[in-house]
Amino acid sequence: MTLLSKIVNWARIKSPWIIHFNTGACNACDIEIIAALTPRYDIERFGILLKGTPRHADVLVCSGPVTRQTKDRLIRIYEQMAEPKFVVAVGTCACSGGVFRKCYNVGGGIDSAIPVSAYIPGCPASPKAIIDGVVKLLTSLEEKEATASKETVETKG
Amino acid sequence: MANVLFNILIFPGFLFASVFSLTAEYVDRKLCAKLQNRVGPPWYQPLADFIKLLAKEDIVPQQADSTIFTLMPSIAFTATLTAFFCIPLWQTQSVYPFSSDLIVVLYLLTIPTLTFFLGGWYARSVFSMIGAARAIIQLFAYEIPLFLSILAPAMLAGTLSLSEMTVFYSHHPWLVLLNLMNFAIALVALLGKLEKTPFDIPEAETEIVAGTFTEYSGRLLAFFRIAIDMEMVAGSSLLAAVFLPFGFNLGPALGFILYLAKVLFVVALLSLARTIFARLRIDQMINLCWKYIAPAAFLLLVVDLIVKGFIVK
Repeated sequence: MTLLSKIVNWARIKSPWIIHFNTGACNACDIEIIAALTPRYDIERFGILLKGTPRHADVLVCSGPVTRQTKDRLIRIYEQMAEPKFVVAVGTCACSGGVFRKCYNVGGGIDSAIPVSAYIPGCPASPKAIIDGVVKLLTSLEEKEATASKETVETKG
Repeated sequence: MANVLFNILIFPGFLFASVFSLTAEYVDRKLCAKLQNRVGPPWYQPLADFIKLLAKEDIVPQQADSTIFTLMPSIAFTATLTAFFCIPLWQTQSVYPFSSDLIVVLYLLTIPTLTFFLGGWYARSVFSMIGAARAIIQLFAYEIPLFLSILAPAMLAGTLSLSEMTVFYSHHPWLVLLNLMNFAIALVALLGKLEKTPFDIPEAETEIVAGTFTEYSGRLLAFFRIAIDMEMVAGSSLLAAVFLPFGFNLGPALGFILYLAKVLFVVALLSLARTIFARLRIDQMINLCWKYIAPAAFLLLVVDLIVKGFIVK
């Protein structure tokens, strides 16, 4: 890694802006995500900010199994984000589809629609688990270059 | 020539303005966090945000007017940077003083709002168009009180040149107390100009995604963000020069530190207001500005006129 890419990688790790999207969760995971954003857990310490638009965000935080209704919208939001981008699946349903797996209206976990960088299990995943998952995602970036997300997109098709 | 280059590139130009505006953003965010009983971001946070955005992909939406869309962030950045040259920083003289430079500074600080409007409008996304319309409506609300509240001290000093104003108030320090109410009005108007929380109606993220900046990403967003930070510092410097005009004869080192302290004091007042208040609706904002703040500014203008007639020869 050259010095410039090291600086850029440092900046990416220190400033992950997130956008939250509910792909069909029961709202339990959403409430836990919102709890993680409150002053009690203060994730601005890690530079994490909640953004309203996918254009500004680096990390897409998804909760819930991907229903047929939300699949197209999820892919659209993912494509609206600027490279490099990462996806975090929060909760058991988002990881695998959970108890709704193979339901008539459910496609499965988030990775059935878009590539996922980090899985955070739990029903619901607690704020501590969510922060731990995001920090683990960020520390994994220290080793490899952030362009890796592009490769996963290509291999997943 | 070397002097001009120094002024443009280092002080008070590019380097100083960028570093100071990133510092001001850090102070703003850290204070806001402290007031909410949080730890808050580390000192390098605004720099990390800026570098990350510079390294991100630029997306220009297909339906957007790509020329205006990509041009607006640099115009906002340039306009706020230029304002630094006409504001007295730590001396009574600004870098390029001329008669009636007060008007030029006020108009240079208006340009960013116009670029937000044009950039949001030509992105042709529903949310950015609503945000752009709100930005321009808000402009009409806060601009009059801001101009009036700065006009009153200028009238008392009998000049439209910022450098002559600071000289006048250095000789008549007690007249500053008369302008304290104007300072409060100018602070409220500056909150509107910077689109900070009680008046962040154009980018209300709970209603219209991210308002004017909805479609911006990467480098373009980075320059918009640093332009807003710079506008905060330039606006605070203007208020410090007009309403806190003391300690200009302390010499370079002390005077410079005093200047930084004055600007950070104004920034602290802004972040205090940002923490205390919740967002108003656009009609409430217009009502507040036109029914209460603008008439109050007019009244203070009359008071300053009377004082000028009786006390200051």
